[in-house]
Amino acid sequence: MKRNYRNIELSFSALVGVLYVFFGLLHIVEGLGIDTELAGLLFVPGDIPGGFCLVVIGAVFLNGSREMLQGINAGVSFLYVGILMSLVFMAVYLLIMGGNLLDSFIVPDDYEGWSIIETFRPGIYLGLLSIAGILYWKDSFSLHEMLVFREGA
Amino acid sequence: MTEKITVALAGNPNVGKTSIFNAITGSKQHVGNWPGVTVERKIGKRVHNDLEMEIVDLPGTYSLTAYSLDEIIARDFIIEEKPDIVVQVIDATNLERNLYLTTQLMELGVKLIIALNMTDLALAKGDRIETEKMQEFLEVPVVCTTGSKGNGIEELLDEITVELHKTRTNESIFTYDEKIENRSEELKAILEKDLFFSHYPLRWFALKVLEGDENILKKAKESDKYPEIKKVLNETDSEMLEAKIADQRYKTIQTMLRQVCNINTCQLSGSDMVDRVVTSKTLGIPIFLSLMWAAFEITFTFATPFMNMIDIFFGWLAETAASAITIPWLASLIGEGLIAGVGAVLIFLPNILLLFFMLSLMEDSGYMARAAFIMDKLMSKIGLHGRSFIPLVMGFGCNVPAIMATRTIEDTRDRLITILIAPFMSCGARLPVYVLLAGAFFGKDAGIVIFGLYALGILVAVVSAKLMRSTILRGEDTPFIMELPSYKIPTLKGSAIHMWERGRIYLKKAGTIILIGVVAVWLLASLPVPGSTHAFASEEVYGTTQSVIGVIGQIMEPLVAPLGFDWKIAVALIFGVVAKEIVVGSMGVLYGVGEDDESLSNILAAGAMTPLAGLGLMVFTLLYVPCFACIGVIKRETGSWKWTLFQLAYGTTLAWIFAFVIYQAGSQMGLLA
Repeated sequence: MKRNYRNIELSFSALVGVLYVFFGLLHIVEGLGIDTELAGLLFVPGDIPGGFCLVVIGAVFLNGSREMLQGINAGVSFLYVGILMSLVFMAVYLLIMGGNLLDSFIVPDDYEGWSIIETFRPGIYLGLLSIAGILYWKDSFSLHEMLVFREGA
Repeated sequence: MTEKITVALAGNPNVGKTSIFNAITGSKQHVGNWPGVTVERKIGKRVHNDLEMEIVDLPGTYSLTAYSLDEIIARDFIIEEKPDIVVQVIDATNLERNLYLTTQLMELGVKLIIALNMTDLALAKGDRIETEKMQEFLEVPVVCTTGSKGNGIEELLDEITVELHKTRTNESIFTYDEKIENRSEELKAILEKDLFFSHYPLRWFALKVLEGDENILKKAKESDKYPEIKKVLNETDSEMLEAKIADQRYKTIQTMLRQVCNINTCQLSGSDMVDRVVTSKTLGIPIFLSLMWAAFEITFTFATPFMNMIDIFFGWLAETAASAITIPWLASLIGEGLIAGVGAVLIFLPNILLLFFMLSLMEDSGYMARAAFIMDKLMSKIGLHGRSFIPLVMGFGCNVPAIMATRTIEDTRDRLITILIAPFMSCGARLPVYVLLAGAFFGKDAGIVIFGLYALGILVAVVSAKLMRSTILRGEDTPFIMELPSYKIPTLKGSAIHMWERGRIYLKKAGTIILIGVVAVWLLASLPVPGSTHAFASEEVYGTTQSVIGVIGQIMEPLVAPLGFDWKIAVALIFGVVAKEIVVGSMGVLYGVGEDDESLSNILAAGAMTPLAGLGLMVFTLLYVPCFACIGVIKRETGSWKWTLFQLAYGTTLAWIFAFVIYQAGSQMGLLA
């Protein structure tokens, strides 16, 4: 099928990309022991590798918006893969949350004073944006989809 | 009267050759092996226009250079058996790569027909291939087919009938630069003088000699004219000529494609779109690392509640056994030996299941093939063959099949290096050691530590490969072609089956070799030293320096003391050679799990070992001698005790140095105190 890429793909990629990079860097900064006031408010833990993963997702989105800005329609691939990756990581964080909750019932002594909110991560609420994206572009998430571009795209 | 002819079906792998073969022959097929090898040979029959055709399905190959057995079989069949017609099945969606084989078939001087297959897919992608122009350019008939639907088969058979009685061949359709042409003519003149070469297409033979094709050179050596051939070869840089010839073939293909194809459109399928991102130069490796980190984070964090459930169960079992059995030594054997030892290993079953579930998701989706592709660039930089990464990835599961998988590497040096470095990949058996120690000493960061150990294994393997490549195993690179399968959505059932296969192996091991191992450790830990007045399995003996195992451990202790390990760890490491899981099982027995309610993890964290020593032990377990099964397979695959012993000595030396540096430097700097 033929498509024309509109500003919405470009804007979505740029916005979500910037958010992921910002939150990823915040994870890393916290992980380095630098306390930011934002961290507590936004549920950002000190987690260097976790932050690195968010930065990578952000870079995927931003690379897509860069290509689309240059008129390369195939840049939309980065948007779709970025959405898939952010959903994978959302699922990972939700599983971790679920695991901790279950563990708190099995060994309650180890979880004294613990609250489920402690395992709430930006990766979860940022993933909501991708859910909105996947609903909006749901027809494109098929491996049989063919996208035809002009030369140089 | 019916005329009998032979038609060979050639083509790249996965171009739909089999569907064409099935569409032509229907049920009239015979499956056997090619002479002397275990490569499948399929022959079918079809009568068309009074012609009885024997259709031979040749192995799928990318070229006719003697790099693999399949290529040699296909080439030898065409040269020796001289089929009346060769039909090359071409994937219309991937013309450039497929036409490379066409150039080689044409140089062989065969009567060639091109079956342009998957034209429906090419059309759907927006490709416009002008078959008439293609026919004109190549001077061979081109028939459009869709093998899966049987379209174009009758036209193809008609074309075979027509082409059969033509005399035209295309041996010289491609011309190379003057230097190559002159050399080839020079050789051709020599070859013409010897009848031995009469059944070979001489121009093709001359080009192959110039390319330094080992198989052809071997044949040339049998001729009386070899000294003259050798003389020409001495003045030729074969490697450079081979690259030049390939380059000129591709240039010709590109020239043709510009004329016969509509290349104004560029299309991406869903798979192409994902590949564009995950195999990107800049983002490919970071994406791979991110996904692997996610897999390890889940392996550790999500598995924790299930591990605790198993731990509680074994704690209860040990307690019940201790209170129900009145004979002290038997209670000790069951509680402190069997339950503590096997329980200490079984507790990690959830980690094993989760890790393999996620690895199989990556494998089944087609992502792991991309990971190999991404890493190929890195592998090439260290002088290793790209194909080496696949066995190394398999090593995350078990090093034994990983070493066996190196059989796909043709170059003997590349293969030997891959065998020698494969044991540095963290196999599933090492995971319990990592989870135990990382969980005991690194709490929430355990996932990162485990990820780091897997990364360290890869790093050590890569650096070792580079070291070996530039010293004891120098050699040249060989080309690497890899087919990337289309992405698939992995099924829950498929991944669950893979996960269970690994889990079953782990459980089987726990019930056999690990069980025997922990009983042996318990027995040696209960046996008093000769001359002792204490009773068998008594409190004064069990797991102390008064036991046989205590004496063995104390003999070994000076070797491991600089690493921060005590004699119990020394013993656990010795038993770990049988199977790596026994390191944990032995520690369970020796540190007295089952005597009270404490888990092994808590006992270690409570002071039985320092975090630095724990980190050193994880690294030592990663790098030191592999298990017995792995040692056996190294010996079998290298066919040499020298290389087997080299691997054991090299790995153990590295393990000792790494653990020493971690413990001594960490202690000096006051890290992880």
